[in-house]
Amino acid sequence: MSWLCRLDRVVGRIIAGAQWLALPLIILLFLQWPLRDIFRSYSREANDLGQIIFALFVAVSVTAATRAGTHLTADAIAQYYSRRVRVRIRKIGALIGLAPWALFILLASKSVVVSSLQVREAFPDTGNPGYFIIKLALWIMAITILAQSLLEIMRRAPRDSA
Amino acid sequence: MEWTGMALLLLVGVGIIGTGLPAAVVLVAVALFGAALGWATGTVPIGLLWALPGRLINILDNDLLQALPLYVTMGLLLNRLPVADALYRACSAILPRSRSAPLVSGMVLGALLGPMNGSVGASVLGLSRVISPRLNAEGVTPAIRDAVVAVASTLGVLVPPSLVLILLSDTMLSAHTLAVTQTGRADRVINTQDIFHAALLPAGLFLVLCVILAWIVGRKATRTVKPEPLTVSQGLVAATALVALVLLLGGVAAGYFYAVEAAAMGAFTLLASGLLTRRLNYTVLRDVFHDAIAITGALFSLLVAATTFTLVLRILGTDRLVNNLVGAIPGHDVLAVAGVLAVIGACAFVLDAFEIIFVIVPIVIPPLLIRVADARWVSVLVLLTLQASFLLPPFGYALMMVRGTAQNPAPLRLMLRALAPFLAAQWLLLMIVMFEPSLVHFGQGEGEIGRAPAKDLSNEEINRRLKEMVPPPSMPDSN
Repeated sequence: MSWLCRLDRVVGRIIAGAQWLALPLIILLFLQWPLRDIFRSYSREANDLGQIIFALFVAVSVTAATRAGTHLTADAIAQYYSRRVRVRIRKIGALIGLAPWALFILLASKSVVVSSLQVREAFPDTGNPGYFIIKLALWIMAITILAQSLLEIMRRAPRDSA
Repeated sequence: MEWTGMALLLLVGVGIIGTGLPAAVVLVAVALFGAALGWATGTVPIGLLWALPGRLINILDNDLLQALPLYVTMGLLLNRLPVADALYRACSAILPRSRSAPLVSGMVLGALLGPMNGSVGASVLGLSRVISPRLNAEGVTPAIRDAVVAVASTLGVLVPPSLVLILLSDTMLSAHTLAVTQTGRADRVINTQDIFHAALLPAGLFLVLCVILAWIVGRKATRTVKPEPLTVSQGLVAATALVALVLLLGGVAAGYFYAVEAAAMGAFTLLASGLLTRRLNYTVLRDVFHDAIAITGALFSLLVAATTFTLVLRILGTDRLVNNLVGAIPGHDVLAVAGVLAVIGACAFVLDAFEIIFVIVPIVIPPLLIRVADARWVSVLVLLTLQASFLLPPFGYALMMVRGTAQNPAPLRLMLRALAPFLAAQWLLLMIVMFEPSLVHFGQGEGEIGRAPAKDLSNEEINRRLKEMVPPPSMPDSN
């Protein structure tokens, strides 16, 4: 199996796992109101945990959208391009847009994320642990976008049948 | 370099239309190009780009944005549960027997499902599935059918707590904060709740107009409809959904719970009812969550890309240019508002509502709010313009979605003819709200209405304050 296939499989598995985070997200955010207004306890903990899950879900979601083809696009002109041309345009988009952007984010956020990880940064308002995971989610977002961009760039263009 | 930002904005429009690439990819690529251009010419301090990770972490850390995946999931669950079907049948059973009943039911269903669905896309899918086959069976022409589904799908934009309302509220909050700080006004910064309240009356007016138009248009249907029988279980589902919707809307409007909590309650209720009635099993849930993460990603990638792009525009000084341009619009505030809305309307020809909220609103609204104090009024006008943009031919998102999902879509020309009265009603409402701002202050105390600045500030003064507000972020440690 080539490294591209392995990378593709890893990204696919990350998304398949992350999609189930929607379930605890719904439950935790639903619980916030009764915990706050009825039981008057643990509402902030539910909120913070929900925030962590939300950040992880969103971090992976961008690549999930790329793979599922759900991004907002305007096809009015591009629909007339051949499949080969469209694949090439996608490759160029990944090469000059997504890949350098993801690399820049990894570089520019290095000190912010690493220092947060080192001290296991807690939530500033509540003191609950785990805030560093939200900052780490930015790296997860950038790494999955970079991986998907590599897959796009390296993928062989189809032969033009049109 | 201020005008370079405008050129980049134009390049984004051309890129989105010309390449067919996702808008997020085009925004990021053009932003990087602009940053590289600024760096190469040495005209902008490129180190300011180091502020980007902090802004992105703010997105991941944003309480309000948690509503987004919840609404998306709610819309997907609604499409897999028989709620829409039950509501439609209940509505048809209640309405007097007439040729117009199916179209009116469709409109009412759009208004009921809109806030629960959250997104126009989910509403189009749901309404197309429930209404379209029935309208076909009743002999309604494909053009009228598609027009009604498209209009009904956008009703949720105005009815709180919809996704568009929440996202616009978040952007307006930032814009208003910027404007209040710069002008030194003593206004309270508007929040999501304020915009929900402000939109209620215009939303109600538009719904009434649409129902009247549906009734008039429906009289030309080919035959009188015999209402489909409403079973006891369907009646129960419809009643439960209606009660849940009223509680959801009422709770948010009264401030008992936040929009995010309302969305979570809706999603949890649908999830629990689906599991209890065994309509949701592992496979269906897996598909729902797969679609949920993919659709959520489409919206967040746009938000992330727009954050990158607007930061580059700010570094290039385009925000100050826009500020000067808005400040230079002569005449009354109404003219300035009309000018900015015209820009948003023009953008709607190439960008959809979400792209406008994330890219255009943060650029053009802060300068407008510096000049015009009434943020609620501006918010509702932007909202109405955005709703109109969903139906604006040829790229209106609702139009494209309806035509994409219909099995036998009507020719665009005929569909536009059927759509024309609804578009006219939309623009009429926009004009009414523009010249009668009191409509958005319904039930609001006199003291709460936004006040004009104590004294007019010059553009130079505003720009000076802007620079003070956005100091250059510190460079990262080299180690």
